[in-house]
Amino acid sequence: MNKFIDFNFLFESIKMIIVYLPLTLELTFVSMLLGLIIGLFTALTRIYKISVLKQLSSFYISYIRGTPLLVQLYLVYYGVPKILYIFQTQYGLFENVSVNGISPEFIATMAFAINLGAYLSETIRAAIESVDRGQFEAASSIGMSQTQIMLKIVLPQAAVAALPNIGNTLVSTVKDTSLVFTITVIDIMAEAKIIGARGLNYFEVYIGVSLIYWATCTVIVKFLNLYERHLKKYERGIV
Amino acid sequence: MIKLHNIHKYFSKHHVLKGVNLTVEKGEVIVILGPSGSGKSTLLRSINFLEHPSCGVIEINGMKIDSETASKKDILALRTSTAMVFQQYNLFKNLTAIQNVMIGLTSVKKIDKKKAREIAEKILGKVALNDRMDYYPSQLSGGQQQRVAIARALALNPEVLLFDEPTSALDPELVDEVLFTIKQLANDGNTMIIVTHELGFAREVADKIILMDDGLIVEEGSVEKIFSNPVEERTRQFLGKALERFIIEPNDIKLEQGAEKYYGAS
Repeated sequence: MNKFIDFNFLFESIKMIIVYLPLTLELTFVSMLLGLIIGLFTALTRIYKISVLKQLSSFYISYIRGTPLLVQLYLVYYGVPKILYIFQTQYGLFENVSVNGISPEFIATMAFAINLGAYLSETIRAAIESVDRGQFEAASSIGMSQTQIMLKIVLPQAAVAALPNIGNTLVSTVKDTSLVFTITVIDIMAEAKIIGARGLNYFEVYIGVSLIYWATCTVIVKFLNLYERHLKKYERGIV
Repeated sequence: MIKLHNIHKYFSKHHVLKGVNLTVEKGEVIVILGPSGSGKSTLLRSINFLEHPSCGVIEINGMKIDSETASKKDILALRTSTAMVFQQYNLFKNLTAIQNVMIGLTSVKKIDKKKAREIAEKILGKVALNDRMDYYPSQLSGGQQQRVAIARALALNPEVLLFDEPTSALDPELVDEVLFTIKQLANDGNTMIIVTHELGFAREVADKIILMDDGLIVEEGSVEKIFSNPVEERTRQFLGKALERFIIEPNDIKLEQGAEKYYGAS
């Protein structure tokens, strides 16, 4: 048997790999959500020029964007137990948390959230700054508070401006999660490697896993487009 | 009644307002004229603290606010008793016409939604936009957008309406419908301060005209006085130049001709 591709095996391997898709999706969406919160918070410290926090945010963004995601994964993976140990022995904090109890999935989510926060911070900042100053002035002139202006006028408009970029980041994240195998998380990529190693049919399993990523990203992009159209209901198109 | 005492404004070293004093009686319509860069818009924006005056006192209905000691509460009080209409309309793009009018009522005046909607519907009716209430700003013409902006300002029931070149961004065909609306409001007895380049309109609607130049009020007086017998050389110069370019005929907007004539076009 010397076929170029063993379609039976390809099909079988997809069935085995896809079991781990929920984990990949969970990693993506949970870290994305946390990343948005970090991103919004750090963007606001920079927009409102809050001293100390503003500098910390800039440092954080610069460091994260200037180092590889893989290195960050390792740093969090090896760093969290060390920090926990110091807290427990020196300050007597978190004593009921066991190092072994922290799942690598949790660590991966944290690492991704920290990474995404930095990228999304820049996206969110640019989107907020793209909102016309007149909107802000009009809202001030009728006596709305800073918080009301942010929540009711600026952020809804910034969301529309930011969505294409956020969507891009989301799609990248789906694919970036393929790195979590390095810190012992079994996701679809890890499962593909394991199955491939069993019979040395790497080619088929990688085609299989690529199709799963592709399909996932396509569906996400479809939903993003629909959502964007919904958000943009108040804008007139260029054509 | 509104009183401005000695309003100064610096933009870093640039001295834009050099001590402006102004009194506006209730129901009075004041038009501010002057060349670009004379500080007209800055003065208008200072009245509701969109520009924080460097020094000076603003008095509205007995409430005195010193710009040097103004608290957030003072500024809020000032902003709810004034309302601004901008050159670029500045309608909230993410809200429909009626939501634009309602938002000040619900989030600033804390009026409940149902009541706010009633008020907003009534006011939009007044500017003849009942059939456009659920349109987004992008679906409205410039003139309609500016009328929604006027409705948004009116909704707060302010002591004074401030107009910052309300027709400058409109194409000529749409100017009249906005001027008609403003004239209606003047007729209803609203107190208004209008910055405009529409000299013809100024002549028709103003109770008092103010000429500003280089951060100061050069001359103020009735329409008759300013247009026919200006005392100051600068006023003559300014109006003279304007006269060379436009023939200042009284703008022929007639309220008795009814709204259809002006709103029909759009």
